[in-house]
Amino acid sequence: MNSVGEACTDMKRKYDQCFNRWFAEKFLKGDGSGDPCTDLFKRYQQCIQKAIKEKEIPIEGLEFMGHGKEKPENSS
Amino acid sequence: MKIWTSEHVFDHPWETVTTAAMQKYPNPMNPSVVGVDVLDRHVDPSGKLHSHRLLSTEWGLPSIVKSLIGSARTKTYVQEHSVVDPVEKTMELKSTNISFTNMVSVDERLIYKPHPQDPEKTILTQEAIISVQGVSSYLEGLMASTRSNGMGNT
Repeated sequence: MNSVGEACTDMKRKYDQCFNRWFAEKFLKGDGSGDPCTDLFKRYQQCIQKAIKEKEIPIEGLEFMGHGKEKPENSS
Repeated sequence: MKIWTSEHVFDHPWETVTTAAMQKYPNPMNPSVVGVDVLDRHVDPSGKLHSHRLLSTEWGLPSIVKSLIGSARTKTYVQEHSVVDPVEKTMELKSTNISFTNMVSVDERLIYKPHPQDPEKTILTQEAIISVQGVSSYLEGLMASTRSNGMGNT
């Protein structure tokens, strides 16, 4: 599956792999604390935020928070 | 406005179905979804996982139309919010189109829960509300029936 930003697809796939494993093996089994995917997610987020701005996709009411509600420096 | 609802039972436990639903795309039964991105994801203080995702769809416009309007503009976008509660064992998804909102509004809600009579199965209830601006309810009905042909394909 591709990303909305062509340059982000690789990052997306790495993040998805990490998330899917954590989701099935940890989160659904009651261990939702600790997130091994934070760094991957931050890099991926920065990439798609740029792509969404460039393509002028009308995302409403959403701030790019990433994990732990940290805002990237260049969020709108 | 047209409202369409349906129920579907999966012969798999809720955890399996929920994990699969998170990885629903690419989906050969719905090839119009060509991109999925996570805009935000976090676990709230009560332990529920929230995900906001952007789905990019491509409806296969004829190539002559694409060349006229520019291929970058043939994608339409859907915004989805899901909440997974691992304790109550519910997964709820709500999605809405964010393209062409001045013309049409398609809101969907899906809820996955363990089947009340059989914990090894999962029940999915779906609801779609379709509103088309300034067009007869006949066309809304047409969209709802097109939707129904694709909805069982999770």
